[in-house]
Amino acid sequence: MRSVVGVVLAKELRDALRDRRTALMILVASIVTGPLTLVLLAQFVAGLEEKAAVLKVRMAGEEHAPQLVNFLHRNDIEIEAAPADYEARVRDGRMDAVIVIPDDFDDRMLAGDSATVEILYDDSRTEAGPAIRQAERLLRAFNRETGTLRLVARGVSPDLAEPVKVERVNTATPRQKGALVLFLIPMFAILSPLLGGMTVAIDSTAGERERGSLEPLLANPVRASRFALGKWLAAWTLASVVAALTLSGFVLAALAYAQRKLEALAAFGALELLQFFAVIVPFAAMTSALQLLICTYGRTYREAQTYSSYVFTVVSFVPMIVLFSGLKDAFWQLAVPVLGQQMVLARVMRGDAVVPADYLVPAAIAAAIAAACLVTVSHLLRQERIVFGR
Amino acid sequence: MIEARSLAKRFGEVEAVRSVSFTACDGAITGLLGPNGAGKTTTLRMIAALVAPTGGDARVDGVDCAAAPLAARERLGVLSDARGLYARLTARENIAYYGELRGMARPAIAAAIARLADLLDLGAILERRTDGFSQGERMKVAIARALVHDPPNVLLDEPTNGLDVMTTRNLRDVIRRLRGDGKCVLFSSHVMQEVSALCDTIVIMARGAVVAQGSSQELLATSGCATLEDAFVKLAGGEGA
Repeated sequence: MRSVVGVVLAKELRDALRDRRTALMILVASIVTGPLTLVLLAQFVAGLEEKAAVLKVRMAGEEHAPQLVNFLHRNDIEIEAAPADYEARVRDGRMDAVIVIPDDFDDRMLAGDSATVEILYDDSRTEAGPAIRQAERLLRAFNRETGTLRLVARGVSPDLAEPVKVERVNTATPRQKGALVLFLIPMFAILSPLLGGMTVAIDSTAGERERGSLEPLLANPVRASRFALGKWLAAWTLASVVAALTLSGFVLAALAYAQRKLEALAAFGALELLQFFAVIVPFAAMTSALQLLICTYGRTYREAQTYSSYVFTVVSFVPMIVLFSGLKDAFWQLAVPVLGQQMVLARVMRGDAVVPADYLVPAAIAAAIAAACLVTVSHLLRQERIVFGR
Repeated sequence: MIEARSLAKRFGEVEAVRSVSFTACDGAITGLLGPNGAGKTTTLRMIAALVAPTGGDARVDGVDCAAAPLAARERLGVLSDARGLYARLTARENIAYYGELRGMARPAIAAAIARLADLLDLGAILERRTDGFSQGERMKVAIARALVHDPPNVLLDEPTNGLDVMTTRNLRDVIRRLRGDGKCVLFSSHVMQEVSALCDTIVIMARGAVVAQGSSQELLATSGCATLEDAFVKLAGGEGA
């Protein structure tokens, strides 16, 4: 004889798997959205890198600046003459940046005076950023070289003009370079169990009330806690499955894109997937219990759906807060649901050390919250206003 | 056997049921007759241990429903006021779910469903999903679900509500066969003809209390009326019916 909890679990899973809403959600939310977003982002970021990587500048009036042209050629920079309507093109966004040389440039340079050069750009277009910065960098380098030559010609040490030398040493590992993109994977990891558990949580609570099957169900000689447990296990199962599918989708996307575009994505492989599961499966236990609880208050499917969307919104805000507030990692965050998971997942993504406490503390808190929710649901299922409330 | 002793239920200010007492015997059909809002459904819910009484007690085969709800429900089959089915499950799966919840083994469930399919004429719809069932088909599945464990006591809350004439007649036969099997059948209705056609004992309820009970002959004698309808109207206080 099967346990009653097993009976309820099996029935809810069977019911949910026959629900088109569940099937659609699994397909859209987990398999398509995540990897698709990642692929689009990878294209975008890789596009930025490519734009800056091509060493090419557009110039108008290059014939007036032979020294500058010479400098650029020596630095392997390709010069492309700007078309006559360059101003309009920049304004329309068809061209990123143009270096404009005035007619008197050469005369002033030969006389040892300072000459003016314009960089024409539209900085409201973020994708033009790399091209603008590159043009600036090249002109600064030309400036320094010319200045140094002039100082040397007058017998002055160039060090006088440059008391501090700045050298850049970039310590970011490939993983850290992709930090913003990789922030998305933890976010999807945290949201996917919410999506996965939602339909079962709604259908097995408010859905039962709406279709009038809750009263006869509770007339069976079964403790309310057994129903709560079985329904929760069903929601947890689907939440974990959807999370697993979503994350596996990321691994596949990362495999496809790793070599070519985003080096950082290569860091999301089988090991990271396992580490993510260790964080997300206990987290899903909590979110499913929480969804079951709030949906029990819903009299209709639609009402419960509204309540669930509040939970979803609150949870999805947490990663945003972390991103924009620049919150530093701290032990106390482990004790805060969502925040703790976000922090540990971010560490996994960065390749930082993750200790057992990083898994155990959030899991213990999640388990405690899940237990509290389930006790409350069992209690509510014995309440007349819940069972019969219209 | 089902007994109610001074059963009472108060929802805040509203006294839904006050001092309801009656006994429904085994091998007999007992009808709770009363206008809408008389407290019939609340009384049945207290017997099914879904609602806790605020006074008195209900017993099923001597088991106190409030003190031992699970034991009382073991001995009951309940067609409640709400009788929703799972639309994505077949009729068989809907019935089997309740058998499994009661800890029945699979062969026993299969045998019970075969028996009920015969009794309720479910054969043609057994393997279909209940989505799109007619009201009569839904009712039959809901009754089969309530009877899957062959309970000695059966509660039926307004079982003929919304059914056509043919289905109602079939249902009456089913209820009589349950009596023939020696079961205690307690059912509620606001339709006088329904109750008089079927019941051995009639309990008339009005405004949350029992106003009269007995066989139809006894009720006629008590009220001094020529027809049961007149007796009902007189006893129930001129409301509803």
